Amino acid sequence: MTSPLSQITQPKISLSHVYKSFQGRKVLDDISLDIMPGESHIVIGLSGAGKSVLIKCILGLLKPDSGTILVNGENWLELSVDQRLKRMACIGMLFQGAALFDSMPVWENIAFVLLRQGMAKAEAVERAEEMLEWVGLPGIADKKPAELSGGMKKRVGLARAICHRPEIIFYDEPLAGLDPVMSDVITKLIKRLHERMHVTSLTIAHNMKLVDAFSDQVSMLYEGKIYQQLSAAELRLSTDPLLRQFIEGRAEGPIRFSSEATDKADLNADPSQSRKSQTIFNKERV
Amino acid sequence: MLMLQRIGAASERLAFAVGLYPLLLGKVLRRLHKPPWFFALIIRQCEMVGVQSLPVVLLTAVFTGMVMALQSWVAFHRFGAESMIATVVSLSILRELGPVLVGLMVAGRVGASFAAELGTMRVSEQIDALWTLSTDPVRYLIMPRLIAVILMMPLLVVLADAIGMLGGYAVSVHLLDQNPHTYIRNSYDYLQLIDLYSGLLKATVFGAIIGLVSCAEGYYCAGGAAGVGRATTRAVVISAMSILMADYMLTAWIFQ
Repeated sequence: MTSPLSQITQPKISLSHVYKSFQGRKVLDDISLDIMPGESHIVIGLSGAGKSVLIKCILGLLKPDSGTILVNGENWLELSVDQRLKRMACIGMLFQGAALFDSMPVWENIAFVLLRQGMAKAEAVERAEEMLEWVGLPGIADKKPAELSGGMKKRVGLARAICHRPEIIFYDEPLAGLDPVMSDVITKLIKRLHERMHVTSLTIAHNMKLVDAFSDQVSMLYEGKIYQQLSAAELRLSTDPLLRQFIEGRAEGPIRFSSEATDKADLNADPSQSRKSQTIFNKERV
Repeated sequence: MLMLQRIGAASERLAFAVGLYPLLLGKVLRRLHKPPWFFALIIRQCEMVGVQSLPVVLLTAVFTGMVMALQSWVAFHRFGAESMIATVVSLSILRELGPVLVGLMVAGRVGASFAAELGTMRVSEQIDALWTLSTDPVRYLIMPRLIAVILMMPLLVVLADAIGMLGGYAVSVHLLDQNPHTYIRNSYDYLQLIDLYSGLLKATVFGAIIGLVSCAEGYYCAGGAAGVGRATTRAVVISAMSILMADYMLTAWIFQ
C-alpha cells in the first residue's frame, strides 16, 4: 500500500528508457522524463525531432519499442484497450489542428465525453455553452467546425479538452498557424486554465512565448534524446550554444539538419516507400 | 536482376497492403462480443448505405433486366425459343447480375465514401482525438459501417432482383409482345430456392468485402489529401476486383 507521502511525490507521468524507431530511424532514443502533479512541462525541439511521437506514445496511440510509461503510477502499455480507454477520462488533449469532428456541431464536439458518459443532452449543451463562454466564443454552439476560423477551432478544441475536467492536459503545438494576437489569446487562456484548475500538462512547442508564459520545466528534444531539462529561467540564461541557437532562432550554429534532410530526400526518391513508412506508422495505431 | 528486384518489391508491397485487411478484421472480431455496439450509429449507417443507395441500385437493376430481356430475345428468336426469355432473365438476375451489379454500385458509392471519410478523419487527427476522448475508434467508426453494409447488401439485392425482373417483364410483354401470363409462369417455374439464396449469400460476402476493404483503406490512410485520394481509389478498385473474384469462387462452390 502506498503512503500519502509517496502519493504526493509520485510523478503524474513517468517515462523510463523509452525507445521508438520507424524503419530503422530512431525517433525516440532512451527518453526518461518525470512530470510531477501540477507541473507544466514543455518539450521544445526542431520539426521532426519526435515531439509528437512522444505524446502519442504516452497516450497509447503508438507503442514504444521498449521502455516503460507510467501515468498516475500505472503502466498503460500493460492494460487492455478497454482499461486504457477508461483511464483516458483523466486526459485532455488539444491537437495541433484542433481535430474537431466535422460531422458534429460545436456543442456536441465539446460535450462529446460527457454525452458518452450518459449526461442528458440539455445539460451537455449547457455545459458546452459555459465552456464556450470561458474561451470567449459565446453563441457558436450550433455552428459546424467548417464555419470556424483557425483560432476559433483552437479555442473550441481547448474547450473540448477541458470540458470533462481532466487531471492531465496535452497540448500539441497550441500556437501553430495562429496570428500573434490569437497566439496571445490562446496563451492567456492556457495560463488561466493552469492557475484555476492546477492541472498537470505536457506541451509541445516551437515557440518561446509558451515557455515564458507558464512552464515549470522545459525539455529540449534533439536527435531523439532529451538534450537538456531545465526551468524556463535557466533556459533563458543558458549559454549552451545549441539551446541559444534554438531560442534565438538562428540558422547558423551547432544544430544539425542533415539527418532530417537525408530522410526527406530518401522518401522523395521512392514514393511507394514514403507511403509505406507512413502507413506503418498508422498501422501500429489502435 | 533488376526485374527480380522489381518483382520482389511489388510482392512485398502487395503483401503489405493485403495485410491491412486481416489486421482490421482481427480488431473487429476481438471487440464483437462485448458492448458498446453503438446501435444509433449502426442505424444511421444503414440509412446511408441502404436507403441512400436505393436510387442508383434500382436504376441499375431495372435497366439490366430490360437489356437482358432484349439480348435474350435476339438470341432465342433465332431458335424460336422466345418463351425461355423469362427463365433466363430471372435466373441470371437472381444468381449473378443482382448481387454482382449491386456489389459494384455499392463499392463505388459507399466504399468510396467510407474510405474518404475515414481517411480524412485519419489525416486530420480526428481518429486520434476519438481515442483521447475515451472512445474506441474501431467500435465507433469501423464496426457500425461494417455491420451496416453486411446487413444492407442482401436487402438491396432482394429489391434489385425484384425490380430487375420487373424490367425484363416490361420489355418482354410491352415491347416484344410476349404473353404476360406465360412470362410470369416461366419466370417462376424453373427457379429453385437455391437461386435466391445463393444470390443473398453472395450479397453478404460482397458486403463484408466492401466494408472491410474500404474501412481499412481509410483507417490506415496516410499522406494528407493525396493519400486520401489514393485510399479512395484503392478502396473502389480493390473492392470491385475482389467482388468479381469472390463471385467466381462462390459460384464454383455453390453450383459444383
